[in-house]
Amino acid sequence: MPELDRRDFLKLVGATTGAAAAAGCSDPVENLIPYVIQPEEVTPGIAVDYASTCLECPVACGLHVTTREGRPIKLEGNPDHPTNQGALCARGQVGLGRTYHPDRYEGPKVSGSNGLGDISWQDATAKVAAKVKASPGGTWILGGPVGPTLAGVMDEFVQATGAAGRVVYDPFDHAALRAATGLVFGREVEPEFDLSGADLVLDFSSDFLDQGTSPVAHAMQFAQAKDVANHGGAALVSVGPRLSMTASKADKWIPSAAGGEGALALALALAVYNKSGGAHKKGGSVAGDARGVSDLMSGLNQGQLLKQAGVDSHDFDALVDKVLHAKHAVALPPGISAASQNATSDAAAVLLLNALLGALDSQLKIPAEDTAERASSYNDVQKLVADMQAGRVDVLLINDSNPLYSLPASSGFADALAKVDTVVSFATMKDETAEAAGLVLPDHDAFESWGDASPRAGVHSIVQPTIRPLHDTQALGDTLLAIAREAGASVGEGSFLDRLKTGFMGTDWRQAVANGGLLDAAEAPAAEVAATVSQINVAPVELAGSGEYTLVAYPHTFLGDGSAAALPWMQEIPDPVARASWLSWLEVNDKTCEKLGVDYGEVVEVSTAGGSVKLPVYPRGGIQEDVIAIATGQGHTVGHYASLEGDGRPGVARGVSVISLLADMADGSGARTWLNTRASVSASGEYQRIPLTQFTDNQRERELAPTVSLAAVAAGEGHLADPKDAGHGGDEHGDGHDDGGHHAFILPFDPANDADPESEYRWAMSIDNDKCSGCGACVAACYTENNIPIVGEEGMAMHRETSWIRIERYVDEGDRSDGLERRPHPDREDLGKTDVRYAPMLCQQCGAAPCEAVCPVIATYHSPDGLNGMIYNRCVGTRYCANNCVYKVRRFNYWDYSRDSWPGNLNLMHNPDVTTRQQGVMEKCTFCVQRIHAARQKAKDEGRPIADGEVKTACQQTCPSQAIEFGNAKDKKSKVVETAHDETRAYHSLHILNTRPAITYLKQVDRSGSDDERSHG
Amino acid sequence: MTPPAAAAPPMNAGAVPQDSQANVDIMNVITRGVSAPWLIILGLALLGVAQAVGTLAYQTYYGLGVAGYQAPVFWAVYIVTFVFWIGIGHAGTLISAILFLFRAKWRNAINRGAEAMTVFAVLTAALFPLIHIGRLWKFYFLIPYPNQRGLWVNFKSPLLWDVFAVNTYMTISIVFFFVGLIPDFAIARDRTTGVRKFIYTILALGWQGKSAQWKAHNRTVLHLSGLATPLVLSVHSVVSWDFAMSIVPGWHATIFAPYFVAGAVFGGFAMVMVVMIPVRRIYGLEEYITDYHFENMSRFILLTANICGYAYAMEYFIAWYSMVEFEQTSFYLRAFGPYWFSTWCMIIFNVVFPQLLWFKKLRTNIPFLFVLCFFINLGMWFERYVIIITSLSREFIPAAWGLYIPSAAELSVLAGSFCWFSMFFILFLKGGPIIAIAEVKEITIHEKAHGGAH
Repeated sequence: MPELDRRDFLKLVGATTGAAAAAGCSDPVENLIPYVIQPEEVTPGIAVDYASTCLECPVACGLHVTTREGRPIKLEGNPDHPTNQGALCARGQVGLGRTYHPDRYEGPKVSGSNGLGDISWQDATAKVAAKVKASPGGTWILGGPVGPTLAGVMDEFVQATGAAGRVVYDPFDHAALRAATGLVFGREVEPEFDLSGADLVLDFSSDFLDQGTSPVAHAMQFAQAKDVANHGGAALVSVGPRLSMTASKADKWIPSAAGGEGALALALALAVYNKSGGAHKKGGSVAGDARGVSDLMSGLNQGQLLKQAGVDSHDFDALVDKVLHAKHAVALPPGISAASQNATSDAAAVLLLNALLGALDSQLKIPAEDTAERASSYNDVQKLVADMQAGRVDVLLINDSNPLYSLPASSGFADALAKVDTVVSFATMKDETAEAAGLVLPDHDAFESWGDASPRAGVHSIVQPTIRPLHDTQALGDTLLAIAREAGASVGEGSFLDRLKTGFMGTDWRQAVANGGLLDAAEAPAAEVAATVSQINVAPVELAGSGEYTLVAYPHTFLGDGSAAALPWMQEIPDPVARASWLSWLEVNDKTCEKLGVDYGEVVEVSTAGGSVKLPVYPRGGIQEDVIAIATGQGHTVGHYASLEGDGRPGVARGVSVISLLADMADGSGARTWLNTRASVSASGEYQRIPLTQFTDNQRERELAPTVSLAAVAAGEGHLADPKDAGHGGDEHGDGHDDGGHHAFILPFDPANDADPESEYRWAMSIDNDKCSGCGACVAACYTENNIPIVGEEGMAMHRETSWIRIERYVDEGDRSDGLERRPHPDREDLGKTDVRYAPMLCQQCGAAPCEAVCPVIATYHSPDGLNGMIYNRCVGTRYCANNCVYKVRRFNYWDYSRDSWPGNLNLMHNPDVTTRQQGVMEKCTFCVQRIHAARQKAKDEGRPIADGEVKTACQQTCPSQAIEFGNAKDKKSKVVETAHDETRAYHSLHILNTRPAITYLKQVDRSGSDDERSHG
Repeated sequence: MTPPAAAAPPMNAGAVPQDSQANVDIMNVITRGVSAPWLIILGLALLGVAQAVGTLAYQTYYGLGVAGYQAPVFWAVYIVTFVFWIGIGHAGTLISAILFLFRAKWRNAINRGAEAMTVFAVLTAALFPLIHIGRLWKFYFLIPYPNQRGLWVNFKSPLLWDVFAVNTYMTISIVFFFVGLIPDFAIARDRTTGVRKFIYTILALGWQGKSAQWKAHNRTVLHLSGLATPLVLSVHSVVSWDFAMSIVPGWHATIFAPYFVAGAVFGGFAMVMVVMIPVRRIYGLEEYITDYHFENMSRFILLTANICGYAYAMEYFIAWYSMVEFEQTSFYLRAFGPYWFSTWCMIIFNVVFPQLLWFKKLRTNIPFLFVLCFFINLGMWFERYVIIITSLSREFIPAAWGLYIPSAAELSVLAGSFCWFSMFFILFLKGGPIIAIAEVKEITIHEKAHGGAH
């Protein structure tokens, strides 16, 4: 045996150790490649914001797109935009998900024997061009409203190729409202409402807080109007057949017959008119044609109208009284859910009521013109379908719409589409129509392309690309120009972008792009009532078909007309009213359920003349007994999230589409109707689990969401047993409270002590429950800011939601009765009862946090500035913290969500400042600690403390109602301290437990006028 | 070699045939060879363990989603089962240590079985905190060890106390168990051949039965008893503090420590009976484990059942008396809420059924005792289920209330835990004397000497 000397031994040991170590590194080598030439504007680690425009709905709010290293990761409202002023709704928050969506077409497609196959752009363009050339008269463009430049290109295309024309189609178009404005004020435009100065808002099923004509702006204005300092703030009266999200915020809900809103508005107008003798409430006479109004009024009969509205005279008299007492009342016209064959007259009645209330030109403004492209008459759509049926359409180009889904089955569109020789879709993402098309020429996504929007006079906002196209797509404008050129038609020179720039001729293009466009909203000129107002005719609503129940199709807060069903966040965030997600449910009155012999979750069959669907029952008190309601937006058969494709069941619909039940009808002015059919309901004996995040609306007198009466606010009284009070020393407490507490045990709330005494900061938040509309924008913002995973239907059904902030919905103070049932459901609602409280719940960053003490590995700890920190890679997942969290805001990673819940490129949307969480660890709200850190670093560089308002949490930033304030509790002048220092309204959730939360809530103000003190349990 | 336990207690050297008979009878269990039923039962146990290991591998790889957790129920069957097995692990040390100190001679016949059960139950229980955590591969974060990352554990957390309490208890139980086995290993060494003899030789640690060895042995046992006695009380007290130290309504109660200890002794004795009754029957050990032993244990069960009953009543009384709505709701829903079934199982099995033990006829009716103890074990499992699940499912925020249903994975692991425990016990039947031979002899000799009165 050869001798092994010391050196050889060491060599061998070294070599084997090295080899063993190298063998351990089995991961492939990935190199970080630095920029060779660093692009201007890109500093790694520093976010760059670009101004753009949200294209999720026609309101077209302004956006700031936050990008990191060339990737857009977050959307925020553009603070300079006159419509949304920095806020954004839930849907706007997640619009970016489309860019990275797994449903996107990765290139042009042509249909073959095995579905859609690949084709080159050149071939596809040539193919379409040949068809268009062969039959220009049989060529139609059908699609959603687009920006002015693209509309120009389409017109150019139609003209140059000699195509038959273009039908603009938008399922949720406000055509009736525009027609009504024409009828009442002589200008066929979409009216603008300004609620900020109102002291009474009358909502006629308008859904103005989540749908309506401009939900973000209206929510913001309404919150301003509700400012308690301003004579207690505005009251809201809602009229409608069901307690919608908007009606839930009402101080008085007047249940009306479905479609009876217009009749009630007219009755109210008549009452006001009779009281004031023709003059409007503010003293002056109604501007315009008094004859028209008097003609109309003379033909009205209050009793008849009230009967039609289904409202009893007692309620009505109280309402009249309220209206006559208000100084600045405004009424909002019916939305989609109430669009019956009277839609135009209903809306006109409400507009006239506004005029009589003196709201014209103050709360209600009639712009001179409609700058946005509006949908064609629904009759045009029906005519096009008839043409297609008759074989008169050879080429159908479909953009920005999904008619195969969103037109009623009874319209015959599916058959008609099959008769069209060449169907071309420009869809970015898979949908029913695109999948049925012969050719798909995918457009860029909104964040990859140029574009513009002109939603209101004076506002011409720009859509600018923030990322290079991820797939082999082409801008729709350029595709159309290419087709036209290929077909030999003479279209102008230049690209779509050139045309867009031309539209901004005479302005500083660069500056316009930087600002997000030209954003000076024009003042609407004065309006007056036109003589045509006398044509208002609110006849009794006629419904198609037979059956005992009126079917109400109401717009889903998040899914809208169904176009947002593909966005997983919109599926996952629970419906603000039902707290259900990922499927459809049938809202039925409790008593009707008893009559039908069905209970929560039982599947029933709903049949109309249009068809029938099966879906689970959701019993509630807040709906008329003869009405059943289904939300729009579900029932897609295509899409990873929209259908059950992501669960491995391609072609199977998720939920049901209420559209399939509706009749294909337009009202007299050519507006599509949504309230047009009766339905029958029969039990099927099956059961389906509804993924419900909250299954009781009973707060059991626990004062989780207390209210305070307006009288108490005015008097500055109404102290709750608030730990804040105990801190003032000498304040004798303890008597008369039966909330189970002995105040001697409650330590004074002193935010300063809940952080390191050396620290300059103690982060704190205030949430105004009175302003909170429950719209869920904060939840969506939190999801996108903090890379919160999607858990899907199964996960939601098992209460495994991961949202760091949720909106709790309670009805009244509750009592101690229920909780016994295995399948409880919200059941404290009642017809006409309005005492709904929304309370956003997120980590309270307690000063004395129960979670911190029990973690065995110090994965959760108290930071010097008072936050409950969470160290993900320290967590072993004992979940003790979650058990001990009294607010139940801790979320657990049951699966490896960070790896598995982001199909497609969705992981590219992650915020690099926020760690994704591994399977088996806890997570929770951090008060957006990454934003605090960024501000701290900036402040440190500049040698100053963090300024008040410098850090905005994602939820605060986007809240349309501006209900959230955030700041430093140690800075006595900060906004959050000022807001929270409200002796009458401030309270802490579960203060009795002495957790010393950093979040101060402000009680909802009860403006219903009842004098009983509601704040005490 | 050394004569078979010839050197038994020096005080009565004349009782050799008696001794040998005990040696033969008890060692017979070990030496008479492997029977087919034994193999089948062991095989079934191994199968049960294997399926649970498979489930756990799946769970560790894919995540705890396979368990039925539904917020806000973040602790469920795994913790229920943990507490259950820790409770089972109480009887052994109680019998060995506390009853030893109280000189309750009747314990000698059952202490080995009880000790073995303790060790195996604790070995089973100790797995569950690991099964339960989200990141099994990071379990060592729970151990305070110096490391260059400067990480440390949180000594304020009851869960950490748990780590120490369970580990201490496990260590002392094993030591106690082993020390008691040394003389018997020597007997086994003398009666076996081949590999077994080799193993027993090592395990016997050179035991010769010399009086100096016996003296040392007896002293060790005495001292270990002294050490183990407080542990009997401490380990389940600490486990109870996992709950009592929290803020959860239904958990946050001062009665928890004695309540849990009493429950553990209760459940532990019941488990001893469930295990020993068939063993006695199968191996014909009626002469050593007599009805008298079972009757004494029944008395203990009756006592602890009533302590448990008192604790249950007191929980409800305090919840009502506190006037705290959270507590009142929690307890009201315990009895009448969605989990009423488990609550009534608990009360009926643990408090109502044991009242039958007031009758001597039933106390000495072995089949009855077996059935009763089976139900008591079931009831004790439900007790933990009630405490953990119902309390968590209805806490402070009604909007966050939830329900929990055990998943197939959890049931698989639960079944696996019984198989794991049985596996150890079945193997031990063939590996070590199930009755402490030397101690039994001590008694029988004493009885001889004192006229057979007990």
